[in-house]
Amino acid sequence: MKKKALSLLLASTMVVSLTACGGKGDDAGTTTGGTTDNSAASNTNDAATSDNNASSGDTSGSAAASGEKADYHEVLKDGITIVVNGTLTASVDNGQADFEKQWEEAVGIDLTIQQLDHSGYTDAVGRLFASQDYPDAMIMSAEMFKQYSPTGLLWDMADAYANAEFQSRVTLPSINENLKDAQGHLYGFAPTYGNGCVTYVKKAWLDAVGIDINSVKTYEDYYKMLMAFHDGDPDGNGVNGDTYGVVAAGFIGTEAPWINYLPEFWQDAYPSLYQKADGTWVDGFQEDATKQALLRMQQAYNDGAIDPESLTASTKIAREKWFSNDQMGSAGAFTYWAGTWYRTLTDNLIKNEVNEELVQLPPIKEIQDTVGGYLNREAPVWVIIDQGDPVHNQAVFDALLDTMLDGDKVQTLWVYGAEDVHWSTKAEEFTTNAGTDKEKSYSYADGEFHLKPSPNDPNTVWKKNHLDPALTIAQLTNGFTDNDELAAAGNKFFTENCVDAPASPVSETFTNESGTIHDAIMTCLTDVVTKNGDVDAAMQTYVDTVGPIIDQCLAELNQ
Amino acid sequence: MAKEMVSKKPSDKLHVFDIVNYIVFILIGLVIIVPIWKVVVDSLNKVGVYQFQLWPNSFTLDGYKTIIGTQQLYSPFIISVVTTLLGTLLGLVLSTLGGYVLVQFDMPGRGIFAYILLFTMIFSGGMIPEYLVMRRLGLVNNWWILVVKHGMNVYNLVLMRNFFEGIPGSLYEAAKIDGCSPMGIFFKIVLPLSKAALASIGLMFAVAVWNDYSTVKIYITDPLQVNFQYKLRNMIMDGDTPITGYKVSQSTLYNAGIISAVLPFMILYPFLQKYFVKGVNIGAVKE
Amino acid sequence: MSKKKVVTSGGVEVREKPLGLRIWNNRGYYIMFLPVLIFLLIMHYWPMLGVRYAFYDYKPVGPKTFVGFDHFTKMFSTPAFWTAFWNTLELSIANLILTNVSAVIVSIFLNEMKNLFAKKTLQTIIYLPHFMSWAVVASIFSLFLSPSSTGMVNGLLRDWGILGEADKNIYFLASTTWWRPIYWFIQVWKETGWGTIIYLATLSGINPELYEAADIDGATRMQKIRFVTLPALSNTIITVLILNLAKVMNLFESVFVLYNNAVFEVSDVIATYIYRQTFAIALPNYGYSTAVGLFRSLVGCVLVLVCNQVSKKVRGRGIV
Repeated sequence: MKKKALSLLLASTMVVSLTACGGKGDDAGTTTGGTTDNSAASNTNDAATSDNNASSGDTSGSAAASGEKADYHEVLKDGITIVVNGTLTASVDNGQADFEKQWEEAVGIDLTIQQLDHSGYTDAVGRLFASQDYPDAMIMSAEMFKQYSPTGLLWDMADAYANAEFQSRVTLPSINENLKDAQGHLYGFAPTYGNGCVTYVKKAWLDAVGIDINSVKTYEDYYKMLMAFHDGDPDGNGVNGDTYGVVAAGFIGTEAPWINYLPEFWQDAYPSLYQKADGTWVDGFQEDATKQALLRMQQAYNDGAIDPESLTASTKIAREKWFSNDQMGSAGAFTYWAGTWYRTLTDNLIKNEVNEELVQLPPIKEIQDTVGGYLNREAPVWVIIDQGDPVHNQAVFDALLDTMLDGDKVQTLWVYGAEDVHWSTKAEEFTTNAGTDKEKSYSYADGEFHLKPSPNDPNTVWKKNHLDPALTIAQLTNGFTDNDELAAAGNKFFTENCVDAPASPVSETFTNESGTIHDAIMTCLTDVVTKNGDVDAAMQTYVDTVGPIIDQCLAELNQ
Repeated sequence: MAKEMVSKKPSDKLHVFDIVNYIVFILIGLVIIVPIWKVVVDSLNKVGVYQFQLWPNSFTLDGYKTIIGTQQLYSPFIISVVTTLLGTLLGLVLSTLGGYVLVQFDMPGRGIFAYILLFTMIFSGGMIPEYLVMRRLGLVNNWWILVVKHGMNVYNLVLMRNFFEGIPGSLYEAAKIDGCSPMGIFFKIVLPLSKAALASIGLMFAVAVWNDYSTVKIYITDPLQVNFQYKLRNMIMDGDTPITGYKVSQSTLYNAGIISAVLPFMILYPFLQKYFVKGVNIGAVKE
Repeated sequence: MSKKKVVTSGGVEVREKPLGLRIWNNRGYYIMFLPVLIFLLIMHYWPMLGVRYAFYDYKPVGPKTFVGFDHFTKMFSTPAFWTAFWNTLELSIANLILTNVSAVIVSIFLNEMKNLFAKKTLQTIIYLPHFMSWAVVASIFSLFLSPSSTGMVNGLLRDWGILGEADKNIYFLASTTWWRPIYWFIQVWKETGWGTIIYLATLSGINPELYEAADIDGATRMQKIRFVTLPALSNTIITVLILNLAKVMNLFESVFVLYNNAVFEVSDVIATYIYRQTFAIALPNYGYSTAVGLFRSLVGCVLVLVCNQVSKKVRGRGIV
């Protein structure tokens, strides 16, 4: 009896006393008297610092507006810290130390790079912030950026951007103009445009089933092609039906613009909140176009046109299934990133000893007529964390972002990586895939700019570092270009066939409820596609579950 | 009647039962071993096949060669070995100390200690509060987190306590009369009697630390501090870092990765097996 | 017993002395417990102070604001939460029963096995899966059960003619019909062997005289199992079930590595729900996930108290 009472007491007092003391700490805004509870005390401080951040956001804006520019070497003599995701290709085992050293030499201040796991980037950043670990600047995806921009954490760099040294060289000013909010604040800076996905088809498979890519014009043609891949024997192993039409990382993507891995099926549907031409926000998921798209995927799933494992595949799994050395169970079509990835996919096919010839499928008629082309996603951005000191913030901009597009030395570091590690202008000869039938030799004269083999993979030529040379808003002026014909062809193809993706919404309710909404979307989608459910019933369940939340989001957005 | 018949032909009855028993066992053994064997064979097979094969039809060691040849896996491997050793050591120290104190039934406050321990099994602060505390302790981005996080394991401590409970009280009394201190009894009597428990609970700690993936995922972002499981999974199964310069099929590499991850314990545990039955014993069982 | 004989100058302290003395006599043990206590306080109790966030809006950025029971109101009105709650109980309790039933059966058979070599070999084999992490086990079974043409199970079903030309490959792990049976099968596959250890230990402790007496009565093997072995095991079975009932709310890893979007309704458990609310969101509200976690802990506490009562009724003593 006594013991039971004790444990109950323990449990209940724990909860009550902790709430009480936490509450006190936050309300009073002073150190809690008596309780020597460290984390409660720090909690108070946390709240205070966050408040500072929020309020200083305004003052910093005006101070920067006065246009005073301090020498960043002086302000940042302790160096800067940046947090990056996997898009900084020069990772720790791929020459990051050299990149860092050469950047420090060129810019003259100390740089600390914290590279987080690419797949868990968003939540790792959340934990950093929760523990008040703020870098000076960092990379954010468009979606993260949209959600963090109203929080007061990010520095408004509109003036810094307007007065940047690189302005004279910017060829695509619209990218960053579009990032500004209604009040003209610029909380993030995009050094490149977003890029998007295009559909690649294996040439050997087309030949095997006797289809000419130029005849694939409509959804019907596209679907016929997928079915031919499934029903026939494009991998030539003697078995029909053990291959698929297309593979994707999810029927719906994990980040905006959601539909880019299966655009032919989604067509004019956009399964998220988006802004119509007249300016009103609507929920695209509830529209008829989405229902039609779900039905198309349902059929494809049943027919084997889509690899069923697309449901659970990560981008890595989907990719590797596609260029797997054993082509049984693989797929003929794959919609993936344009440009440099054209080269990367080809290289991987070569590595796996699979016929590497790929063709890019122009947007089918249904896409062309409605959306207008493949979606160019919202660009990922660099943000500067507001430290409350406008001089410091401006210095971070000058040291990091202004130099990033200097057209010369520093930009080359961001575009191609470290000299003599990732690229070189010295005379050099090397061979990749030596001893195989894909052996290729490279030879360069002195003074000729060229990319070297990857530090961690001598059989693959290095492609780029953080900035894709074809996507930057201001080009290099030192004439360093990589003449990779595939990447160039890929970029040309994409720019000719793309349209901008719809902008992501900024709504507090949407931010809070995005987990619940995403779950409801997935439930509805799998009900229809994988379980052959009735689309209207599934949609009704979706409306019943999150309808009120969506309405509230839309109300906020349409205010 | 029945009784007579039974006693008449006991050998026949035994025979039938034993045959059934063997058949059941062969079936159970197959169910367990077939999936594992399939992975072993596929890791040695040049081309992935869906069929179950007893032996690879196109033998290759390339999967393992690739993994062994990947230098980026070396330091994670060392971290895994070191954290497993240290974590097991810390775990054994804390669980023997705690378990030993908990069987001192005449010690005032013993019940409170037990409740303080057990309460943590059902109640936790949640991930973010834990993260904040670990960060304050300097354990974020630091492989020591693996040692510390697994070192304090209440469940294993209770197992240890239950084992100690089975040591006859007369041994303690005799030692006390001889003037042995609590420490003395602990080192001279309790530990030597507990080899089986130490071996099996130690193995449980080692398995937990070695196999840990989620702690690394949450607490470590520095690529120089991650362990073998994490790096392997990251490179082969779901990460974005490609394993370098491979010429083997995905299926071979994937399966070889799985086997590499479990190999140390597949080799180690049969040697410790004799201790299990003696060691892992819930005290209540002995009633 | 020596209370009265202890006479000291401080008369007031006479009543207090026995406890003080006992504490003093046990000082060595307190010192030994100190490291455990320190670790416990730092690793477990310090983070517990964080449960107060359940009553706050707490995001990676911005001030924490007190919201009272808002998170709980939201949680209780969310259908997905209730799905997760009931799934946790159903999956976890079934796990407990299935693994223990199979462990008991296997132990009895093992105990009857007279050939020592065969017994040893089989034990080695059935312990094996326990040493694989859930992530590895999931990788293995995902490969086998894959619906694409590389999946072994679908391939075999096709070879054996169970799946005809017209049939589609079965996507086992994405099917609401198949997911739970498969999940339980994997659970049994992985943990049965390890579960037998406890039962084998009990069986080895059965007095051989009981079997001899049964032999004299002319009992068959089955009768001996029925009347000697099972009763001897019953106490252990109850103990194990009760001890593990306390942990049912913690179910996470095994589900996390095997579930997917298509089977939320039968597989989502509280811990995975918390995980998604914390990780799958760009700007998560840690307050909400803490609130769900707190609720989970409270249910766990209730279960333990109930178990303790049951345990007292059944065994005459509590679980601790």
